[in-house]
Amino acid sequence: MSQTRSVSSPAEAEAFRDSILRHVRYSLGREWSQLTGRELFEAVSFAVRDRIVDLMVETEARIKENAGKRVFYLSMEFLMGRSLGNNLHNLGLWDVCRDALDEMGVDIEEIAETEVDAALGNGGLGRLAACFLDSLASLGLPGYGYGINYEYGLFRQELDNGWQKEKPDSWRALGTPWQFERREEAVVVPLFGELSQMEGHDGIENSMWLGWDVIVGVPHDMPVVGYGGKSVNTLRLYSARATDEFDMSIFNEGDYVEAVKQKMESETISKVLYPPDSDDKGRELRLIQEYFFTSCAVQSIVRNYLAEHGDLANFADKIAIQLNDTHPALAVAELMRVLMDEHSVEWDEAWDITRNTLAYTNHTLLPEALERWSRELVERVLPRHLQIIEQIDAQFLAVVEQRFPGDTERKQRMAIVNHEGEQSEVRMAHLAIVGSHSVNGVAELHSELVKSDLVPDFHELWPERFNNKTNGVTQRRWLHQCNPGLRDLINEAIGPEWVTDLDRLRELEPFAEDAAFRERFLDVKLANKQRLARTIAHDVRVDVDPASLFDVQAKRIHEYKRQLLLALYAVHSYLRIVEDGVPPASPRTIIFAGKAAPGYWAAKQQIKLINSIGRVINHDPRCAGLLKVVFIPDYRVSLAEQIMPAADLSEQISTAGMEASGTGNMKFALNGALTIGTLDGANIEIREEVGDENIFIFGLLAEDIARQRADGSYNPRAIYENNAELSRVLDALSGARFSPGDPRLFHWLKETLLDRGDYFFNLADFADYIATQDRVSHEFQDTENWSRKAILNVARMGKFSSDRTISEYARDIWGLLPSRTVVGV
Amino acid sequence: MHIETNNHGDVLVVKLFESRLDSYVATDFRDAMDGFISQGSERIVLDLSKVEFVDSSGLGAIVTTQKRLGRARDLVICGPCETVMRLFKLARLDKIFQIVNTEDQALTVLEV
Repeated sequence: MSQTRSVSSPAEAEAFRDSILRHVRYSLGREWSQLTGRELFEAVSFAVRDRIVDLMVETEARIKENAGKRVFYLSMEFLMGRSLGNNLHNLGLWDVCRDALDEMGVDIEEIAETEVDAALGNGGLGRLAACFLDSLASLGLPGYGYGINYEYGLFRQELDNGWQKEKPDSWRALGTPWQFERREEAVVVPLFGELSQMEGHDGIENSMWLGWDVIVGVPHDMPVVGYGGKSVNTLRLYSARATDEFDMSIFNEGDYVEAVKQKMESETISKVLYPPDSDDKGRELRLIQEYFFTSCAVQSIVRNYLAEHGDLANFADKIAIQLNDTHPALAVAELMRVLMDEHSVEWDEAWDITRNTLAYTNHTLLPEALERWSRELVERVLPRHLQIIEQIDAQFLAVVEQRFPGDTERKQRMAIVNHEGEQSEVRMAHLAIVGSHSVNGVAELHSELVKSDLVPDFHELWPERFNNKTNGVTQRRWLHQCNPGLRDLINEAIGPEWVTDLDRLRELEPFAEDAAFRERFLDVKLANKQRLARTIAHDVRVDVDPASLFDVQAKRIHEYKRQLLLALYAVHSYLRIVEDGVPPASPRTIIFAGKAAPGYWAAKQQIKLINSIGRVINHDPRCAGLLKVVFIPDYRVSLAEQIMPAADLSEQISTAGMEASGTGNMKFALNGALTIGTLDGANIEIREEVGDENIFIFGLLAEDIARQRADGSYNPRAIYENNAELSRVLDALSGARFSPGDPRLFHWLKETLLDRGDYFFNLADFADYIATQDRVSHEFQDTENWSRKAILNVARMGKFSSDRTISEYARDIWGLLPSRTVVGV
Repeated sequence: MHIETNNHGDVLVVKLFESRLDSYVATDFRDAMDGFISQGSERIVLDLSKVEFVDSSGLGAIVTTQKRLGRARDLVICGPCETVMRLFKLARLDKIFQIVNTEDQALTVLEV
């Protein structure tokens, strides 16, 4: 296949080369001949950064001049991945940089590969935040991310005899060229202490917050370059520091050890993403983390607003704050505190400002993921905030009483502070709902379930507050950057407008009938699969056949996402080959990737199970050329950028009603993978877009599962006993076949699925899943038809651009219409 | 610790010549204020114009002084810089005490 290669102007490339050489000498103090790969990455990044800084200053000046509304996206996670390639692409400088480096004898891809991912997140929620930042900047909207500058990102995953081992990910150990520390904009965050009542000079009893400790939040700004380079926004990440003042007083008393200890404890706050919350100390740290970044954000937003506007009168007209899940829900109490205590705004006015400013996005229907903090913990860490929360609660419950007089049970269900049970607790989702003017889910089904199942009382009270914003992904990273072969092919066919207007991909539809185009499409796919096969050979030491069907499940390991179901299918396929002598219609490579939370036993067992299955299958000569199973370690954004373009089949097989949206499903389809999935999350909307005939749907519906849960009719043991194929799979896994050294290793499987009721309905969906997978295998043989479907999947993904999602947030929630929908191509 | 005092009628003006009212000086400060109250001062102006930073022990010492005096209106604070004022607001001390810019304003509040 011929690949197009655009060329930059020689003058531009020369100027860029000069800039790199200047940074080698004056920023790094090195001679060219001494340079390491890492240093060259830094020099190139500094040269790129120079361009970004100019644009960042221009963007801020333009926003100030317009004096329009600004939006702030508060998120515990931002999975930014690598920045160099993304910044170069969005600035339109990739070719310039490549040509400049070519002349210096350096491969740009190699330099980009040396960058460590900024893995400041765990999964979809964090990557969504990163996609949103890209869209905000690309749409020319003044939108800023606020989060934590974790010293260690999500752990690095290694496999040891098939078991996940977590290693620290010290992503900033060598520094990062993409952050600007803004010490002069540090804020002081108070916590702990106690409230003390006292009569004031005016005779009115008031409470004081005394005895607090303070942490200093130091912002680090990361530029976010919009596509076309016309807008550069920022992601502001806070590091926790002990106060110099605080330390000094202890040093003065000569207690050096105590000073160092306090400094270290303070700085622990921004050390690590998601500390284990299995003990009190971990829970306290987690709550402090959430409060820390929320307080930093609120204080910074108010301070900057006042510097620009002078008084708080029109705050909610100029500021929108979006809460990404409940992690920043304390913003409700913190904004109230800052307005009332620090800026003398009266309660009613502060409440109006708060509610009109904040909006909340719900991301989960899983009860265990809905945050609740014990009242005692909140009182100890944030006594003033608890006081405010309880006052909000009292005011809110009076509203409920007015609307539903005498309905005590309803008030108990809806209260922010729940006094039922052994210990009182603060329900963060309730706080977020009460303190926001908008509550949205992230896919149509999910938003409906939020209203009907998760918080129906709130929906009944305030139906107008609830809305849906189906998630999206940025096509700049998830097609334009990560899949250059397909990008160039699409550009050749329909032009590049899709990069800022994904709906334009519809123009590809006629090409699905073009045999020459289909052939080139398949060539691109094969090249992407060959690249991934090289990574698998390197990282997993297994050779896979790029011509086989690449069947991929890449996402966080969680029981509801049902990696187990695909693992069961792998064993079923294996037994068909070795016991029945029936090979699959298409040779298949089953590829898993994903991390399990360090404390999540069942998820870690699944990783071991998958690797054990892979070890047996990959070493069995009867499966050669027919079936392989691999688990690629250390799933992260940069690995996803290799995996998505290489997949033929995208596994989106969560228990219906449990996946809020998913965004991996969108990335895979955008890169031409067909989806096998349940009617869950955004799969439903993907089916609506691509058409029934271009997606493989199976399994129970959310309402079937809800009904069977409610009436207790689900009987997995009966399914096991009546399905010979299933019982053969489970029996094989319960013996020594896949765990030769330890025959009891996978006994948990039958216990979970048969004895403990199979909460995630794996067995209920098994037969339909197997039948659907058989259909996939047969259809994959028909290359012409498969490629036609794959092209139509790409062509019909327009809806799932995060540009569309952000435009809807801007229009419906933030009152901030895009100034333009397309910024320079 | 460096404190200077002078009397305006029955009002004692206490001026603190320390840049920091923190855990290092809070105990001495509290003892000194205790001493003034024991010696019969019932109305006090606390001049903090030379203080650049107050931590929570310093705030606690001011509150203790007020408690010894008995009535919040008998202690008026004057001259806090912006940083100190922010810390007062954080602790909500501005809801309890009268806080003014100058010593003269403080004396006016106390009708001297």
